Amino acid sequence: MPKLQNIYRVVSNEKLCPRFYRLCFDAPSIVRKVQPGQFVHIRARDGLEPFFRRPFSVCRAQKYVEIFYEVVGPGTGVLSLKKKGDPLDVLGPVGRPFDMPPPGIKQVVMIAGGIGVAPFLILSDVLKKKKKLELVLLYGGRTKGHVFNMKEFRSNGCAAHVATDDGSVGTRGRVDKLFAKINPDPKTTFIYTCGPNPMMAAAQKFARQHGIRGQAACEEVMACALGACLGCSIRTTKGFRTVCYDGPVFDLDEVIFDS
Amino acid sequence: MLASLLLNGNDMMNLTVNIGMAKFQNPVAVASGTFGHAEKYYDLAEVKKLGAVVPKTVTLNAREGNPPRRIVETPSGMLNAIGIENPGADGFIRDKLPPLQKIGVPLIISILGHTDEEFVTLAEKFQGRENVSALELNLSCPNLGKKTLVAQDPEATRRVVAAVKKNSRLPVIAKLSPNVTDIAVIARAAEEAGADAVSLINTFSAMVIDVRKRRSVLGNFTGGLSGPAIRPMAVYMVYQAAQKVKIPIIAMGGIMTADDALQFILAGATMVAVGTANFINPRSPVEVLEGIKMYMSKNKVTDIKEIIGSLRTGEAKKQETRSREGNTDAER
Repeated sequence: MPKLQNIYRVVSNEKLCPRFYRLCFDAPSIVRKVQPGQFVHIRARDGLEPFFRRPFSVCRAQKYVEIFYEVVGPGTGVLSLKKKGDPLDVLGPVGRPFDMPPPGIKQVVMIAGGIGVAPFLILSDVLKKKKKLELVLLYGGRTKGHVFNMKEFRSNGCAAHVATDDGSVGTRGRVDKLFAKINPDPKTTFIYTCGPNPMMAAAQKFARQHGIRGQAACEEVMACALGACLGCSIRTTKGFRTVCYDGPVFDLDEVIFDS
Repeated sequence: MLASLLLNGNDMMNLTVNIGMAKFQNPVAVASGTFGHAEKYYDLAEVKKLGAVVPKTVTLNAREGNPPRRIVETPSGMLNAIGIENPGADGFIRDKLPPLQKIGVPLIISILGHTDEEFVTLAEKFQGRENVSALELNLSCPNLGKKTLVAQDPEATRRVVAAVKKNSRLPVIAKLSPNVTDIAVIARAAEEAGADAVSLINTFSAMVIDVRKRRSVLGNFTGGLSGPAIRPMAVYMVYQAAQKVKIPIIAMGGIMTADDALQFILAGATMVAVGTANFINPRSPVEVLEGIKMYMSKNKVTDIKEIIGSLRTGEAKKQETRSREGNTDAER
């Protein structure tokens, strides 16, 4: 019954390093419609196992729709076996997208942890078209092998700073070590963040300290993706809010990150 | 050619069913809590084909629901503990009801009171509203921290149903819990109190434990299991209830396909509701409806009422008796 559910064809499903994949599928209607921060809800295969669909941020939408994912369980495990030409049952794009930076913003800082970098490539694709915006990416990954799309970010004009847990590239440590790289100004800086909750909580703390506005793209286990089941609710200052319908993008100050 | 034959066949088919005074164009409904924001996301022409839509349960006052995590995937199913998050009756009537009424599909409003009086007040609020065809009394939500559910107690069930019936002109449906020894006893109590139908089953109380954290996965500690995992138990419970009550049964419990739905109809259900399947295949209610029509056409059934409760039990009954006698022997 949803207008947004369709079967598309897989164009490629490339393994980038152990457990990390980039899947492209041919969905012109999604390419036309999708806004940065929105997601697609994919049924990994017909049948009852795994049972739920799985939500993925759209990472890029140029010729094809690209998603970027890590194999963490049975859903992403089955997805990683998809081959070129396979059918893919997709519901989307859905969810609240990132707002464009408010008037007066000159510096956009994207703070990403691990697979949370996914929505920032499509965001930088859109933001690079806006004149006079300085784009900064602060990106934390496990090792050198877990840092992706740097070429694409740089060609979008992003100043990209990297931190890795083992120091194999960039600064050693978590992404919050990179906060010193930027010069925050409450009037002209805007933050977007996506990644593990402790990392987004650190970004929130930093934003509050400096009086900076921003937005966070959140994640939760999800069933319907259409705001019907209320299963993916998270705590916010306004009460419980669904990640699928009220989010996944929330105002950074609004989210209550459980430790 | 074949398509036109099938189409003609459909035209001659009668799929209408009745619950009390309410008439539904076909027996397929969308179960409570599984349908939302249709005006934004759905092809409303398709929704209009369905027999009925049951919106998420409404309480008198707003409820914020249970703390996260609220859902977890299980083998062929899911566990939920949403906790009846809803804006309260007045908020629902103001904000959520108008877009649902606009669809034009009959609505069965699911209500939950914390007392008999609250049930009555809620029922009164929905009298005479456009496209509201019936009331479903949620007597069986397992996620509200109550020790005993209304639907676990035949006397409480009788009391609530009688109170609402006395004060409502709308048909009244009692939604029953599978968490009982004999669901037919509760179904009988609802019927005796004047219920126009019973709907079953709500979810099974269940839990999933995170062994690494040694904690229950759900924020509410326990939840309700739904999906195909519970379907065979639901079919059996509908069969059991159908042996004991004459009022219509609205069946739900893991229906994903027309075959699933037909099992319930053969077991005695007048209507079926598709719930959890909406999260996996949002087209499933329409597919179930189309599949039922195909089954009828293939089996030359012209009226859905011909197959309701038409399970052939001859040999199975003997088997059941044999196994019961076998058990008795063993007990001796």
